[in-house]
Amino acid sequence: MKYISDYIVPIGPEGLYIVDTGKWRTRRPVMNESTCKKCGICFLYCPVFSVERRADKSYTINYDYCKGCGICANECRFGCIEMVPEEER
Amino acid sequence: MPRIEVMNGNKAAATAAALCRPDVIAAYPITPQTPVVEYLTQFAADGIIQSSMSEVESELSAMSVVTGASLAGSRTFTATSSQGLALMYEPYFRASTLRLPIVMAIINREMISPQTLWGGPQDALTVRDAGWLQIYVEDNQEILDTLILAFRLAEDKGVLLPVNICYDGFYLSHMAERVEVPDQETVDSFLPPYVPTHIKLDPKRPMAVDPLTNGNLLTEYRLRHTQGQQRALGLIEELDKEFLERFGRCYGGLIEEYRNEDSDAVLVTMGSMTGVARVAVDQARAQGRKIGLVKLRAIRPFPAQRVAEALAGKKAFGVVDRSVSFGWGTGITFQETRSAMYASGSFMPALPFIGGLGGEDVTIEHMLHAIGCIYAAIDGAAPAGTVWLNKEITAE
Amino acid sequence: MNVFEKLASSEEMVSPGISACVGCNVELTLRTVMRVLGPNTILAIPPGCMGGVGVVGWDKKSGCKNPVFFPLLDNVASMLAGIKLHYEHRGEHVNVVAFAGDGATVDAGMQCLSGAAERGDKILYICYDNEGYMNTGYQRSGSTTKGAWTSTTPVSPQGKGGKRQNKKDFPMIMAMHDIPYMATCNPAFIPDMVGKVEKAMAVDNGLAFLYIYNPCLTGWGIPSDKSIEVSRMAVDCSFAPLYEVENGRYTLSYTPKKPLRVQEYVSRIKKFSHLGQEEIEALQKLTDTKWQQLQKLCEMD
Repeated sequence: MKYISDYIVPIGPEGLYIVDTGKWRTRRPVMNESTCKKCGICFLYCPVFSVERRADKSYTINYDYCKGCGICANECRFGCIEMVPEEER
Repeated sequence: MPRIEVMNGNKAAATAAALCRPDVIAAYPITPQTPVVEYLTQFAADGIIQSSMSEVESELSAMSVVTGASLAGSRTFTATSSQGLALMYEPYFRASTLRLPIVMAIINREMISPQTLWGGPQDALTVRDAGWLQIYVEDNQEILDTLILAFRLAEDKGVLLPVNICYDGFYLSHMAERVEVPDQETVDSFLPPYVPTHIKLDPKRPMAVDPLTNGNLLTEYRLRHTQGQQRALGLIEELDKEFLERFGRCYGGLIEEYRNEDSDAVLVTMGSMTGVARVAVDQARAQGRKIGLVKLRAIRPFPAQRVAEALAGKKAFGVVDRSVSFGWGTGITFQETRSAMYASGSFMPALPFIGGLGGEDVTIEHMLHAIGCIYAAIDGAAPAGTVWLNKEITAE
Repeated sequence: MNVFEKLASSEEMVSPGISACVGCNVELTLRTVMRVLGPNTILAIPPGCMGGVGVVGWDKKSGCKNPVFFPLLDNVASMLAGIKLHYEHRGEHVNVVAFAGDGATVDAGMQCLSGAAERGDKILYICYDNEGYMNTGYQRSGSTTKGAWTSTTPVSPQGKGGKRQNKKDFPMIMAMHDIPYMATCNPAFIPDMVGKVEKAMAVDNGLAFLYIYNPCLTGWGIPSDKSIEVSRMAVDCSFAPLYEVENGRYTLSYTPKKPLRVQEYVSRIKKFSHLGQEEIEALQKLTDTKWQQLQKLCEMD
């Protein structure tokens, strides 16, 4: 008998289950770093933590898992983030 | 040195559990199980046990607390009866499919409705396919001994399944008998500490426990589960022999046979009524009937092969049940026994008896009547259908 | 360390890709809370949104780097109590945490939670209240606001329907269990939430309960980019006030600088779009009464 699993009981010890949510996007946030005031609001409120804080306290967007929700653009008080249509892949 | 004490079944269960050094105990009181909880909390207050006790607010929580603790790696114990068992059914099923070696005493009590408190294995038998191992015992010494054995059985790496030790409410739970209590050292030598290797909630060994699972994988886990039950078949016999060596007592393993070697017909019973059956068998033998007795101990896994061997070549058998399988109109262990006989290719007359429901007494007269029906069956005059052993014995 | 440094320097414990709705503020809450709690945490995720999106995992993979499991919908607090007993018995400290929706907390799991609170089981129970059984299609719960459309309290084309009963005031129910720490949070107030998680983690003499009000974008009808904005409005109109109860002492965490009317909040949410003036006024009255009650409790010594 060939088993699918080495385990006798339902456990998940083989690493993380990851959904490629970056592929969900229909629009992407684009940050204008020159006008960014580094307030950190976008960092605090991105639900997938796609806004990353650099060592020099500036912020950048990582597009790996960004779903394009637009919260960062909506919360930014200085208009530094714009939602643009996601390009064809 | 073992000590002799006069104790009722509940104290025997509590004493046995205490000797097995459970890490976590959570139990909710219900008649007739309540004294088990009281004894254990008293043991804890007296410092006899170092278990963490949780005074839970219902049986749902009792099984949940114990499941959580077992997932974290604790040896755990709990106890309940009828309505409590029904209330905890959701986590109860899961305890076996998560392969947690929890030991639970079920103080068998008839299920409501009608409103009842008294003894009978309907409660545990109804949930026999929830994946737990189930052993039913006859007297208080057997409660104590089998409960200790249960932890060894449950925690065996080839089994890793929870175990129910079932004993009749009031008939055993509240009846005092002479019981020999082994000393802690002997129990420790029989029962090493529990070290989980197959499942654990531990930041030092992170894993998901019970993620969403596709059907193919689920099927495989079910298959492995049945393998655990099958392994228990052999292990129960092995452990019975080891228990004899260490503690000086044994119970026949999966079933016990009484005066069955030269019998031509067999009476099959389970639980405390077996004591009455022994007396009836002796009386029938004195009147020239070569009746034998088979006492079912393990119901899960069902000892089909042992039962088939014990009944092989006999001319008829009857099963006295203190339970009802509603859709069949017979008792529950009757169905199991008959199924085992079919599997073995034996088709002698099989007679279902139902008696003692709602805690009513199953008397010597009832047993003799059942034996009479079995012999009538050999002569081709079996009663039609199930014989209900009521207060007045009826022939229909 | 300020909150930005704290969150940026802590490890992300949840899988980077989970199938939560676009903009889901429960996902924001979970990730934030887990960054604060860290790897020495056993996490219980009952059936619900977070379980459904893969936080416990699939097949042989996990949704978290720390131990995570599915309790049953109705026994979250009790399973955690058992786990905690194991580690206490061994003298080891482990964060034992529930991240449960209102279904598992206010409805099915209330008995176990109430029992655990009364016994003082040392667990951290976090409830995310999205006012319904959202993962399975937006069915109502005991925590759904009166009048709301849900799939089991639907609304006719004439605008008749919606939930007929008031929302259970669950944070107050938990506060009245006299547990050492109860606090309400909101995903639009992340620094406040982080502080409260830290306080809750430090509780070692009983159950700590965090109640997070999470407007559900898909279930309530809120555009994804307005997730935080509308969540903030719930606090600013005092419908979902932020407060703490520490050892029986009530304190407001935040008084709205520009208080809103409930009408303004409700007008942003589709599930309330059929409400008439009378119903909205009733909600305003209820909000006002509860706000006054809270003020009075905060005035006590």
